[in-house]
Amino acid sequence: MPVPSYPAGTVRALLTTEHVSAATRAALEARLDAPADYQPQFFAPETFALLAAVAARLLPQPERETAIPLAPAIDQRLAEGRADGWRYDALPPDREAFRLGLGGIQEIAQELFKNDFLPLNLEQQDTVINALANGQPPGQTWQELDAGRFFEELLAELTETYYAHPLAQEEIGYVGLADLPAWTKIGLNQREEREPQANG
Amino acid sequence: MPDEEVLEEGILNPVQPEIQDPLLRELLADEPAVTPADTPQEQAQPTPESDEEVDCVVVGTGAGGAPLLARLARAGLKVVALEAGPWHQPEKDFATDEKAQDFLFWNDERLAAGHDPLAMGKNNSGTGVGGSTLHYTAYTPRPLPDDLNLHRDFGLGVDWPLSYEELAPYFEEVEQFLGISGPTPYPWGPARAKGYPLAPLPLNSAAQLMVKGCEKVGINTSPAANAALSARYYQEGVGWREACTNRGFCQAGCSNGAKASMDVTYIPLAVQHGADIRPNCFVTEIERNAQGAVTAVVYTQNGQTKRQRCRHLFLCAGAVETPRLLLLNEIGLDSGQVGRNLMAHPGVQVFGTFADEVRPNKGIPGALISQDTHRPQDADFAGGYLLQSIGIMPVTFAGQVARGRKLWGQPLRDYLRSYNHVAGINILGDCLPHADNFLELAEEKDARGLPKPRLHFTAQANEQRMSAHAEALMRRIWEAAGATDIWSFQRYAHVIGTARMGLSGDDAVTDRDGRVFGVPNLYISDNSTFPSALSVNPALTIMALSLRTADRFLEKMK
Repeated sequence: MPVPSYPAGTVRALLTTEHVSAATRAALEARLDAPADYQPQFFAPETFALLAAVAARLLPQPERETAIPLAPAIDQRLAEGRADGWRYDALPPDREAFRLGLGGIQEIAQELFKNDFLPLNLEQQDTVINALANGQPPGQTWQELDAGRFFEELLAELTETYYAHPLAQEEIGYVGLADLPAWTKIGLNQREEREPQANG
Repeated sequence: MPDEEVLEEGILNPVQPEIQDPLLRELLADEPAVTPADTPQEQAQPTPESDEEVDCVVVGTGAGGAPLLARLARAGLKVVALEAGPWHQPEKDFATDEKAQDFLFWNDERLAAGHDPLAMGKNNSGTGVGGSTLHYTAYTPRPLPDDLNLHRDFGLGVDWPLSYEELAPYFEEVEQFLGISGPTPYPWGPARAKGYPLAPLPLNSAAQLMVKGCEKVGINTSPAANAALSARYYQEGVGWREACTNRGFCQAGCSNGAKASMDVTYIPLAVQHGADIRPNCFVTEIERNAQGAVTAVVYTQNGQTKRQRCRHLFLCAGAVETPRLLLLNEIGLDSGQVGRNLMAHPGVQVFGTFADEVRPNKGIPGALISQDTHRPQDADFAGGYLLQSIGIMPVTFAGQVARGRKLWGQPLRDYLRSYNHVAGINILGDCLPHADNFLELAEEKDARGLPKPRLHFTAQANEQRMSAHAEALMRRIWEAAGATDIWSFQRYAHVIGTARMGLSGDDAVTDRDGRVFGVPNLYISDNSTFPSALSVNPALTIMALSLRTADRFLEKMK
């Protein structure tokens, strides 16, 4: 099946309609209107830049003029000490895991290319991430930090952050936000008037 | 190590201390709750004087606590419910947005150990008045009678000290009170005295596809029993509840009261009968007298430590916090079984991509069921499982794709563009207790200074064979329905059995009525008492047991 694409602008158009509840609108507008110049609260600027560069390879957004910000959500969570209810026992506490893991990504870059991650070209950066994703990356860090679990946690958090953004939801043709007063056409190939149709 | 913040190069010293519990952060900040909830002062009843002794304290207001609370209050007893989380106003507070609804989950960290670590938080653990029913998927199948007798039939696990016949009247009562939507007659299990009060909810796309696939493979299906209303429904003590609007957001909180979470069903009934519901109360201590009987509980509310004296205590805090309280307070431990026998339902999901438009966010997520696989003829395992179609919200799905497929970069984004063409099936299967699977208190402390719970779970041969059998079948069903790019997501749901009931205090924590062996006035009512996992979703059975425990308690009080 060809990959579908959906028209731009549908989420913003729906947000102001009566199909969206006040609580839903408030949550989504806060995400849409997040300031572009986020200043890290937990990570040092250079560590934050590294996290952002890794995020840009895990969820590349070459087609967007302004990328959906991903690193700030992790920085904020760690600064506030929030958790999601569980942690792999194999991993240290989140702050420690990110400190070790981001250092470990630098280490992979050094081992493979004798350089830090940031100055590498995109292909080299992907090679570094591939080494991490495959679970057996080079470097001292990964003797004590479980690479597979760390990568899974990092990828899952960034992915959930991306797809929680209204514009990412628009990209996949999801307008569940506009659920008032009800969905009545819920069967196969049934589309409500306010749901977008795929292009072409 | 964990609570000491190590300053490292490249990491700024965080301004905030590492407090992972949002509730406690609010308390420490000495501010009113920042969750979109009304503060307890606005909804709670007057707090009695601290030296007043009440008849019963109930810890937890989910499926285990709320039905019992209503029953005890109706009998005229003075009852207080202590709930760790806030009291929400769903119509106003609940957004149709997964991230914004994170406050529904028990977000204190639990440590997940073993070869198949159990995801907690949004996977199976809630907080707030209503507990995990605030985010349950509203599946309410009854167990089948032989679910209670795995040992009799297979020589494995243990049998329940209760029969299906003893539970059936309670299943019926809960079904009628909640307004379950489901098929009458129900195609599997014994004939029933009463059918479901409402017709089934409409089948969404995933359910329609599963019908198609199952017909070709030769498996019978039926619209499922769901605790969400297919029409307006009235109950004395509750009033009218509105019909489901097919939002598909059960797992992130129902905003119109159609889903039978406890906060819109048994809690209002309990309040009408005079129960005192106290939100934002986290219990830490259980006090006893020289005879070993419970005399009071100590809890924190809005930063203040309080004591509530009581004649009887009911722990209904779920299969993690209930055994954690017992272990922390060294109470009810005579059998050596507290924390042991931890079970979790095999819940492998199989997703496929269809040329048709699915739009899987709409409609009740689990609209279709089959229990043809309850005792498969070709099984190489004990027990069995059921099949359910699954609709799924986008962020949940994306997270599972990341964890399960390990796609990243452009392939990840390309795959998720097909979200509107994806549908899933999952199972819910039985699980056997095993010595390697247990809950313990870790050395690592939480922000309250209490040890974090650590859950060890490793799927054993029986669970592995069952999951493999189910995955092969679900792949066949999806192929028959025309799916491409079929993949499976291995998962386990619900924590069960950590304070099991039984006939004797030698190998069980509670008796068949939920009373803790060796402590005269302590009861447990939640999924920690399940002796075996059952091959169905647990909520209905938890509620039925809750009512039964209340009735047995009241009979003894006479």
